[in-house]
Amino acid sequence: MSANDVIGGERMEALLRGDAPRSGAEERRAALLDGLRAAQLRAPEALRARVLATAPAPAARVSRLRRPTRRLALVVVPVAASLAVGAALVHGLVGSGGGKTATDHPPAVRNALAPTTTWRSAGGGAAAAPSSGALEAVPAAPVGSTSRLQHTAASLQVRVADTDALSAATKAATRIATSLGGYAQSVVYRTPQSGGGTADLVLRIPAASVQTALVRLSALGTLVSQQVSVQDLQHAFEVESAQIAQLRRSIAALEQALRDPSLPDAQRVLLRIRLAEQQRALAQRLHARKGTVAAGTTARVSLVLSTAKSAVAPHHRGRVGRMVHSAVGFLALEATVALYVLIVAAPFLLLGGLAWGLNRARRRREERRLLAA
Amino acid sequence: MKGVNAISSSLDPPRALGATPRFDEVAAEQLDAVYRYLVYLTGDRAAAEDLAAETFEKAFRLWRRFDPRRSAPRTWLCRIARTVAIDWFRAEARRKRREETYSRDLGESVEAAFGDGLSAPLEAALRELSPAEREVVALRVLLELDGPSAARVLGISQTACSTRLSRALRRLEEMIGDVRE
Repeated sequence: MSANDVIGGERMEALLRGDAPRSGAEERRAALLDGLRAAQLRAPEALRARVLATAPAPAARVSRLRRPTRRLALVVVPVAASLAVGAALVHGLVGSGGGKTATDHPPAVRNALAPTTTWRSAGGGAAAAPSSGALEAVPAAPVGSTSRLQHTAASLQVRVADTDALSAATKAATRIATSLGGYAQSVVYRTPQSGGGTADLVLRIPAASVQTALVRLSALGTLVSQQVSVQDLQHAFEVESAQIAQLRRSIAALEQALRDPSLPDAQRVLLRIRLAEQQRALAQRLHARKGTVAAGTTARVSLVLSTAKSAVAPHHRGRVGRMVHSAVGFLALEATVALYVLIVAAPFLLLGGLAWGLNRARRRREERRLLAA
Repeated sequence: MKGVNAISSSLDPPRALGATPRFDEVAAEQLDAVYRYLVYLTGDRAAAEDLAAETFEKAFRLWRRFDPRRSAPRTWLCRIARTVAIDWFRAEARRKRREETYSRDLGESVEAAFGDGLSAPLEAALRELSPAEREVVALRVLLELDGPSAARVLGISQTACSTRLSRALRRLEEMIGDVRE
């Protein structure tokens, strides 16, 4: 067979379709194809009967049960997505609550919150020095019971007119803290070239003067938002006091026992060790109680002063807004969980895929070997 | 040249797009084609008969997965038939290894394995081909599957399928030529 006898792919396809041969090689190939097709080979009647007996017209049942994988995926994926979004919406509805006031704060704090509305005239917005009338209009922010030890933390956002006013308000805030017996823990003052400016102050104010401080700080400009949280420390204080009293009694008993001259040396050593431990524990408890008392007597006030240009508009969310916010958060959580699952499962999926691929290649090789024989 | 073959020439009977044909109709239409493919693949009519029956039993069980938009019934059945036949080849190989003698000598079969009416040289030449070569001849020439469908049944690329077919036909021509000379 010469090189001229080689029949190209297109001509081969043409011959298979029954086109007329154009060369001697093609004539031979066409004759071969005719010879192959000439053979009569029908399935035996016994086989036909056997096969048809296994297929008793199942069309109705089959069409009902048919669930192509791809079509199934087209259903499953949207359903899963809808479920995820639905769950997020339900979470959002449940979590959004029904009230009109913002509920971003815990219930204990919620009562202590002043309304975050701009209590000055909305049209003004100017950072004029607060009038006495305006000062009186500052909403009272209850800071808890005076008979209990409580830690008060407050944060205020106040808008001023410009950088000059910002500087003045910052100094004034520091003065307010010191005048009330407190101090400014930190002051960060920023006036970028792009305009505007902010000052972040953390003030420590004696608990008894928090109310006054909040009123005076709010009056430094237009109150944008105010948040007060109160944490009860009375129980912690009482527990610590009880522990201290018990440790003191224990130490007194140990000291008395050690004064006994008839005490054996071995036991004396043991008692001294125990006494040292109790004294160390007492020191720790005393230190902890001192911290608790300090937290209860000094409030932390975080004040953000900003010019009108850089002030962040207060975030008022209605019920729908809260619902959407909650739903989006839930969706993000779902996405995080899905990502986590994917990260955990990825190595196993990879290994599974690799094993599947190797097995497939092995079977292919085996098939080729079997059919090449 | 078409129509010589006794097999039904309707590869894809016109049906509504996506409509699933009845299994019994498909079985009746495609039985000869599947049987012929298996005869060529195995070179053994008795085995092909058993495998054809097994193929249709399996196809009946899997019928709900059949999607007429993805492949023709003949292509789908041939893929199942091939899987069944591969298992048979595997079992035969195991049996051969176990017994170390292959009792069924295909070359000594008196019956014309590949069809009545084949010339003796062509019959002999077909016996000399490997099962892989015979099956591509069966799929492309006898069952008249197009290139992509045949490649899909064989699990190879279309180019590899064409190459295998050309090689098989060239070998047949050579062997027939040798016999005639």
